[in-house]
Amino acid sequence: MITFTSFPSSPGGEYDAVRRHRETDNDMDVDFDDDDDFSSNRLRLTLPGDYLTSSQAFMRGHGTYVHEDQVVASVAGTVERVNKLITVRAIRTRYNPEVGDLVVGRITEVQPRRWKVDANSRQDAVLMLSSVNLPGGVQRRKLESDELQMRNFFEEGDLLVAEVQAFFSDGAMSLHTRSLKYGKLRNGQLVIIPPILVRRLKSHFITLPCGVDLILGLNGYIWVSRHIKASDQAGEEGFDAEAVYSNQNDDIDEPTRGAIARVTNIIHVLAAHFVPLTDTILLEAYEWSVEQEEANKGLFQEDVAEALVASLHSRS
Amino acid sequence: MISLSKAEKSYIQAGILGDPPHRSDGRDLHDFRTVALETGVAPLSNGSARLTIGRVLRGGGGTEVLAATKLEVEDMKAGGVDGGRIVCSVTCSPAAYPHLSSGALEDLQYDMTMIINQTLSHPSLHPSNLSIVKGQKSWLLNLDLVVLSDAGNVHDALFMAARAALWDTKVPRTRSIEYKAAAANRSAGGMEIDDASGLDTRQQPSMADFELHDFWDEGEPLEGREVWPVSVTLNLISPMHYLDASAQEEAATPLRLLLAFSFSPSGTALQGMRVLGVGELDAKTVKQGIEDGEKYAREIYTALNAKLKDEDVRRNQKASHRFARR
Repeated sequence: MITFTSFPSSPGGEYDAVRRHRETDNDMDVDFDDDDDFSSNRLRLTLPGDYLTSSQAFMRGHGTYVHEDQVVASVAGTVERVNKLITVRAIRTRYNPEVGDLVVGRITEVQPRRWKVDANSRQDAVLMLSSVNLPGGVQRRKLESDELQMRNFFEEGDLLVAEVQAFFSDGAMSLHTRSLKYGKLRNGQLVIIPPILVRRLKSHFITLPCGVDLILGLNGYIWVSRHIKASDQAGEEGFDAEAVYSNQNDDIDEPTRGAIARVTNIIHVLAAHFVPLTDTILLEAYEWSVEQEEANKGLFQEDVAEALVASLHSRS
Repeated sequence: MISLSKAEKSYIQAGILGDPPHRSDGRDLHDFRTVALETGVAPLSNGSARLTIGRVLRGGGGTEVLAATKLEVEDMKAGGVDGGRIVCSVTCSPAAYPHLSSGALEDLQYDMTMIINQTLSHPSLHPSNLSIVKGQKSWLLNLDLVVLSDAGNVHDALFMAARAALWDTKVPRTRSIEYKAAAANRSAGGMEIDDASGLDTRQQPSMADFELHDFWDEGEPLEGREVWPVSVTLNLISPMHYLDASAQEEAATPLRLLLAFSFSPSGTALQGMRVLGVGELDAKTVKQGIEDGEKYAREIYTALNAKLKDEDVRRNQKASHRFARR
């Protein structure tokens, strides 16, 4: 029931390990001064403090600063160049929103005519009362009574899926849920992974054949839930406020619960090994873990997790 | 406590009450996440341990606790207690609770400190070798715990880390020395006084102090280190209970029963008990909880002891390895 393990020994963490000065490492090519380096499509990783290029010839962008006529990386990440602009995209960072992105967020505050939403960004996002679908039809005017019962739609802690609509002048994003695909989330659980691991896909609503729906928020919040048939979703005419803003879960049968837990664990394992998520990878990983007939909790063991990631690499 | 929507809460609760029960990460009700433990992590302390629960592989996440003990010489005249004393404190890193204000964080630290301190500094657990010079000097054992991140079940982690650090603690070997003023000084008038006289009631100016033995292994372990308690938190969703809740599960559980047991050859003792959360708990549940809790705590105790012995062996090997390479 309880097992103890040791911490993995980190290379370089041992004091008595032989350590070489970085300049004596000849196997690393850290010559960024060459202009040709940026024209090649090779992925380049930086550490904070790495010299990238001359500031005379290039402009510094996000994630860099200028020191002694050199552009220096200020974060660990990948170098990107647009014409003469050098930027470093950090590997571990908060979510950088773009208009049209699909995000999953959690309400943190109810304010006059707006909700504040935590979407893993630097600032809380804003969801205006005028950007949500209200009961009684899409074209309905907002009434004062709607303002007074905002908690009936969303209250603190509620999860929702929305789209980034616009930005305010201070950089906070404004969300909208004016589609039947968007709205309050139920019948499942949330998984949080680094936002960089969520790729932009054709559709972020994924249905796995094991009866599990996934919503991959670009902010790294992923909603794993029971599959809802498309025919069950109400049409534009029969907009049912009761169902859309309900807090009640449907009955979820036992195999579905097992599948949701398994998908959740797979996402955790893939995130720990820094594998970007796509629908095909998730599906392959799910099939692999079912094939192994491994008990679900086996995924927590390091060797099982390594085998899963290795099998994904061999297939792709 | 993190915020959770009503739908998430009811999803977790319905899963646990289901038949068969389902948890959000597929564990059984009485399974722990993987616990990683290492002792001797702080070179300047007398004993230390680092413990994580549920850390995913090399990645982050999980509950992480650091524990370290430091011995300090305390004089009886300066408020010390004969036989030594133990003072525990818990500090929470603000990074572990980013949503809490500093005031709320202090409250939380205070609550955790009280639970740990009241349980571990209880006289029934007091180690006998914290005295240096009887009636004069003793060791003050400071046990400091730091919560670096909280992903649920922080109390069990604190108790396990505290037990590991106390297990690891070495008390320096001392030899007490007593200085007495020479008899000649007192008989300044040249008068001969018989020192053996029982009628001599004058105060003998004497000083007691100690010196440290120089040994390579830094001292002896604390006396009675087997009996330091382990705790088990029963998360109660009536009529079920489950162990090692994740942060989300904790937020969906109204009541938690924290039990600290100490096991010794002479028997089992319940050293501490707390009810955390709001709600009511009937006596029958408590009774059943204590019975079940003892069973779980014994498993934790056995596993933890085995791990601590492994750690002792590992560190001895490492030390002799380094010694041989010199």
